[in-house]
Amino acid sequence: MNLKELYQEIILEHGKNPRNLGKTDDFNKDAKGNNPLCGDNVHVYLKLNGQKIVEDISFEGSGCAISMASASIMTDLIKGKNENEAKEIIEDFLGMIKENPDLKSENLKEDEKTKLMCLSGVKQYPMRVKCATLSWHTLVSAFDNKEEKVKIEN
Amino acid sequence: MNIDKIKKEFPIFDEKIQNNDLVYLDSANSSQKPKVVIDKINEFYTKQFSNVGRSVHYLAVAATNLYENTRTSVQKFINAKDKNEIVFTKGATEAINLVANTLGQDYLQEGDEILITELEHHSNYVPWHFLRKSKNVKINFAEINDDGEVTLEEIEKKITPKTRVISITHLSNVTGAILPVKEITKLAHSKGIIVVVDGCQGAPHLRLDMQDLDCDFYAISCHKMYGPTGLGILYGKKKWLEELPPYQGGGGMINEVKKDRISYSDLPNKYEAGTMATAQVIAFDQSIKFLESIGIDNVMKYESDLIEYGQELLQRNNLVKLIGNPRNKGGVLSFTIKGIHPHDIATILDEDGVAIRAGHHCCQILHEKLNITASARASVGIYNTKDDLDKLNNSINNCKKIFNLK
Repeated sequence: MNLKELYQEIILEHGKNPRNLGKTDDFNKDAKGNNPLCGDNVHVYLKLNGQKIVEDISFEGSGCAISMASASIMTDLIKGKNENEAKEIIEDFLGMIKENPDLKSENLKEDEKTKLMCLSGVKQYPMRVKCATLSWHTLVSAFDNKEEKVKIEN
Repeated sequence: MNIDKIKKEFPIFDEKIQNNDLVYLDSANSSQKPKVVIDKINEFYTKQFSNVGRSVHYLAVAATNLYENTRTSVQKFINAKDKNEIVFTKGATEAINLVANTLGQDYLQEGDEILITELEHHSNYVPWHFLRKSKNVKINFAEINDDGEVTLEEIEKKITPKTRVISITHLSNVTGAILPVKEITKLAHSKGIIVVVDGCQGAPHLRLDMQDLDCDFYAISCHKMYGPTGLGILYGKKKWLEELPPYQGGGGMINEVKKDRISYSDLPNKYEAGTMATAQVIAFDQSIKFLESIGIDNVMKYESDLIEYGQELLQRNNLVKLIGNPRNKGGVLSFTIKGIHPHDIATILDEDGVAIRAGHHCCQILHEKLNITASARASVGIYNTKDDLDKLNNSINNCKKIFNLK
């Protein structure tokens, strides 16, 4: 994998034109994530209905192409899933971005997996893994309504 | 000045970094080390090691002499009046913490004001913030102008009758602005205000003359001036170091210890509690000798030409926006590229062997003021060449290609 492959169309596309950017109307869960090393920040908004299905999800924030693309793809994939499915996808993604060769989740369709795998190249740039994971950790905090600071990979 | 010869004194440039020749443009973060410094650490541990200032055996005496030799070298290098005005610390951060903490113990009172600037590194803000919490002092910020400078007039404007301390950077690690420290000090002293200078970026790039600057404290980071990590220097005027209370307690800083009373050592031991970074101090003497062998005026002239060249080069690059345009500038070229986040820039440059820093450079206040979360920063040292800056520029053009920008 070279850099050109990491910064492939889909990452650049999502990085430049992130989906679900903004503040969801009538969200009922949210969390802020912050990377103290670089100052990047993200705020994830969730609207969870009575059946614990993500009716709407969005994010605000600023960051590099990798973090913006990751948040953008994440919000796309999580919308419409229920909380358990979402958490399983999150775990699957975090496992893949750190060590696992691929995604295992049965809650993801093949084309969704392909999109997420675009971010797998980040593995080779250890200092950049946290860029890709910040929004995902923040989403976990939003689900759990956690007040404390969102952790990042070290 | 033979730059090829100087560069050869740094072993790291013999290494291939990810199959590339290293273009190291991160010296404001930390500089590379010349062989003499690396060798001295090795030699000290191999042939001369002992703790200093305690035992009477041969090695201890010899090590103590080496340690104190560095103090004398530093005194001469920065033209301090007295050898005892040089205190070794674990870094410039500790040096500023020492000043803030000891001024905070008795000297400063509730309602007193500390004046810093928007350019300050977190290490020249957070230690004062501690006093804001513990002593209820107020912190005021002198603002930058459009060129990323803080002027004497702005400082004067922000001084109030309650200002007791002005703590400022000598050279901004983001905009490169060199502050008029001497003039600020003169003004401050006319109003009885103490001046603390964060010299982290000043010391590697500027001629230092404490008696001429006349500031009360000056903090130096040794690893940014071709020296070892884990070492800083606090210059403090003797009257202050004598008057202020100790910072840390422990071995080496005491005179007499009884169950009901303790008295403290004279300077400089009063501020050097515990076993110090001995090998680093001893090796730092070689850093000073290295800089002196080139001549600090030559260093200044050479780096100033480099920065000017880099600035012109980047200004011609249509997507690059330089941060700050100070009249008096040194050391750093900070920039943003429209459409590419600094982290992406740094990763792409790294692939070409060009090492820069991206982020807020520990200056969140400044970045907030500039309305950006991060910037990219290329910073130079004595081993850099115009060729390095050309490579930087080429690599920036490569970023544009990857991001499909024109």
